[in-house]
Amino acid sequence: MTTRIAVITAGITEPSSTRLLADRLAEATVRALGGPSAASVDVIDVRDIAHDVTNHVLTGFASPELQERLDLVAEADALIVSSPIYTASYSGLFKMLIDVLPKDSLRDKPVLLGATGGTARHSLAIDHALRPLFAYLGALVSPVAVFAASEDWGSTEAGRLGERIERAGGAFARLLTGAPAPKQVDPFENVTPFEALLADVTGAA
Amino acid sequence: MTSFLLLSGSPSRPSRTAALLDDAAQHLDLGGHTATRIDVLDLPAAALLRADTTHPAIQNALAAVDLADALVIGTPVYKASFSGVLKTFLDLLPQKALAGKAVLPLATGGTIAHLLSIDYALRPVLQSLSPRHVAPGRFVLDTHLVKEGPGRGISDPTARRAVHQAVEQFVAESSTTQSSLTEPALSA
Ligand SMILES: Cc1cc2nc3c(=O)[nH]c(=O)nc-3n(C[C@H](O)[C@H](O)[C@H](O)COP(=O)(O)O)c2cc1C
Repeated sequence: MTTRIAVITAGITEPSSTRLLADRLAEATVRALGGPSAASVDVIDVRDIAHDVTNHVLTGFASPELQERLDLVAEADALIVSSPIYTASYSGLFKMLIDVLPKDSLRDKPVLLGATGGTARHSLAIDHALRPLFAYLGALVSPVAVFAASEDWGSTEAGRLGERIERAGGAFARLLTGAPAPKQVDPFENVTPFEALLADVTGAA
Repeated sequence: MTSFLLLSGSPSRPSRTAALLDDAAQHLDLGGHTATRIDVLDLPAAALLRADTTHPAIQNALAAVDLADALVIGTPVYKASFSGVLKTFLDLLPQKALAGKAVLPLATGGTIAHLLSIDYALRPVLQSLSPRHVAPGRFVLDTHLVKEGPGRGISDPTARRAVHQAVEQFVAESSTTQSSLTEPALSA
């Protein structure tokens, strides 16, 4: 059975690093799920339907184009979102799309959070703005989210962002499949017993 | 004199949030203050969504923010947070757009359970625009508001008193600091 992944990206510039992050998160998730035969991806670029979203916010009615996207989101097994961070929170355009999502369309849905910003100083916007919004929507939010600052895309830091994206994709895939987290290495597993340490000092035993 | 700007982020027409702001504006008038008004709904949608700050209507709105000493910002609560429409306008503001200004946040919502959205969702956004002061906000239940016709405004007496008090306190704070800013230095 293939996992249907919907992706919402809300960048407004062209090319958009928000879109790039969304694509990279989707790729990492698909890889972790076992490749293209295991998952399909549908990308919803809010920029393409901004006008329809606005009309829906104003009139309460969805155009066929918008309805098709809303259905994709509602029917997906998993959702990946990527918003630019403006004024320490998700963008207005991103929130407008969230505002028109039918009630309960994200209930119990696994969601992977991504956000982009000009500076790493706003990294906490993921945990303080996006996470509570998706908590209200009843989504099952993956514990590992990715914030990508402009400088992260630069050559020296690119490897580290790549690692974070892989880690987020891996954790999200485990959430989707119910696979256990890889066993943590326990630094105290093979520790020298305290008595033995003492014995060294006191010369006893 | 302090110049006030009232900003509504409701996409509805008629709107309870707009009715709340008008009620607050009337109260400002009674105190002898003047207030200008922006409804994000009236701004050109395409320019707003493309963040096109060269559009004349957007430029006028940004200039109005720049000229104001104090802002009253109203939003309906959508999905336990501020409306996307309000945020599209705030997204256009320059980084220090609220420097030196005071802000009073007002929210309308269907459930009192979302009162804290003012402090947890809206306040950090306002704070990031470097205002001098963000006053304690007020949350008004939609059932305590009449959005059109006779009696348009805050219909619940307790809610009305609370909002008027918040406005009066906001005016007092805004004007005190205003005058203290222009006070001559001790040595002068
Ligand atoms: C899409 C949508 C989502 C809403 N979500 C909430 C909510 O999460 N919490 C709440 O208290 N009220 C919610 N409401 C109710 C509105 O906040 C309330 O009716 C408000 O007064 C509407 O103001 P307006 O007439 O200016 O649009 C929602 C209304 C809509 C249309």
